[in-house]
Amino acid sequence: MKKSVLSAMVVLLLLGVAAYAAFFVAPTDAKQGVIYRILYLHVASAWTGLTSFFICFIANSLYVLRRQPRWDWLGVSAGETGLVFTTVVLLTGPIWAHPVWGIWWTWDARLTSTFVLWLLYVSYLLLRTLVEEPDRRALLSALFGIFAFIDVPLVFGSIRWWRTQHPQPIIMGGPGSFFDPTMYRVLFFTWLAMLGLMTLLLRQRYRLEAMRGDLEIIQRELEAA
Amino acid sequence: MKNLNSVFAAYMIGWTVFFVYYISIARRTSVLREDIERLKNSLNRGK
Amino acid sequence: MALLSNATVLLGKELRTEFRSRELLTTTTVFVLIVIVLFSFSFDPTSEESRRFGAGLLWLAFLFAASLMLQSCFLREQNSDTLSALRLSVSDPFAIFLAKVTANTLFLLLTELLLLPVFAVMYNVPVLPSLHWLVLVCFLGSLGVSIAGTALSAISAQARMRELLLPLLLLPLLTPILVASTEVTAALFDRSPYVQWKGVGFLAVFDLAFLTILWLLGEYLVEE
Repeated sequence: MKKSVLSAMVVLLLLGVAAYAAFFVAPTDAKQGVIYRILYLHVASAWTGLTSFFICFIANSLYVLRRQPRWDWLGVSAGETGLVFTTVVLLTGPIWAHPVWGIWWTWDARLTSTFVLWLLYVSYLLLRTLVEEPDRRALLSALFGIFAFIDVPLVFGSIRWWRTQHPQPIIMGGPGSFFDPTMYRVLFFTWLAMLGLMTLLLRQRYRLEAMRGDLEIIQRELEAA
Repeated sequence: MKNLNSVFAAYMIGWTVFFVYYISIARRTSVLREDIERLKNSLNRGK
Repeated sequence: MALLSNATVLLGKELRTEFRSRELLTTTTVFVLIVIVLFSFSFDPTSEESRRFGAGLLWLAFLFAASLMLQSCFLREQNSDTLSALRLSVSDPFAIFLAKVTANTLFLLLTELLLLPVFAVMYNVPVLPSLHWLVLVCFLGSLGVSIAGTALSAISAQARMRELLLPLLLLPLLTPILVASTEVTAALFDRSPYVQWKGVGFLAVFDLAFLTILWLLGEYLVEE
């Protein structure tokens, strides 16, 4: 118990430092002024979400090959955590877009792709609720998870290509518009802090899932008795 | 500047989402822990 | 090769089952027709607007129809309890998928080719000048839909709420097909039609990628 409290505090500290850096260390953008600072949270969340989904993919593959429950536990934890980070991306995007463009949503390539990504993993979690038998649930969701992750680069690629055919306001300037090295450093540090948060959430969620596994074993023992 | 409010809002919303998720895991964990205790007891009583 | 001969035999079975009653083909075709008609109420299908929106609507209609049509793919086997017999009859479970994917692609393609002239007439879009390219994009798109749809049908057949689950799983997954097919088709509907080779290439890549994954995971999808 003590170790988890300590690590939680470390993560909180890192996040606090990252926020401070985002507000005070990073220079003000010449074109956009203060509003661009949302990017540190927005972009770092996006990268962390994708990292989490990648972990989900690895866990899914390992489950299909080895059939050990812990890979299923890791898979659902990483999927849920990734979804949380992606939700933050989708919420912070419009908050940035509104002062800059006067509109809440735009079908720009990155936001659209992120939305599809979000839908894919919502489906992943929904599928799990619709299969009762634990082993079957683990296998089916792992298989879908693999298909979903393979689809991710195809989704991003196709939407990006399609959107550049029909030029839209490029809402998220992205790393291309970052010229100052300090900005890169702050972004990278924020990402590291986010990865710490991701690890924390992953571990908690994994423990929950492992306990659920224990519960099912006890329930089966009771039924047998 | 009014834009600073938007930046604050974004960070608040982000952290709230993470916080809510963390709390939801903690709550589900404690509920599950109680269920396990309860079932362990009935298993022991059965024995 | 055993795989191909098994797949051919199974394909024969799939085709015979469908052409005996033709219920899948007729209902799917009618459904796409209904969607096309309904779409016409949501905007004015003049020639100019049809050229801009027509391709997208057409492919949306195909996707919706496919996500309904593909439900029966593995549901049929489950309801008549033939899946275990199928599994025992082949040495490589991929043969089952190869047969079903081929059959589904064929059914989808047939539906699309039946409806293309109807769409062309109702929406004032020229189809004849680039017909062979349209067939190509319909084939590549339908193939991608079939591959993903057949795999996901095997998954959703084993879950609850499978009627709603398959479209839910399939439609986000097929976004790249929708995007690429629409782009290529729109280029072919243009005043001076041209072939978007980038889009055609992308569709081929999608098909290949998902076929490979299906080949790797097929045996687990029909596991006992």
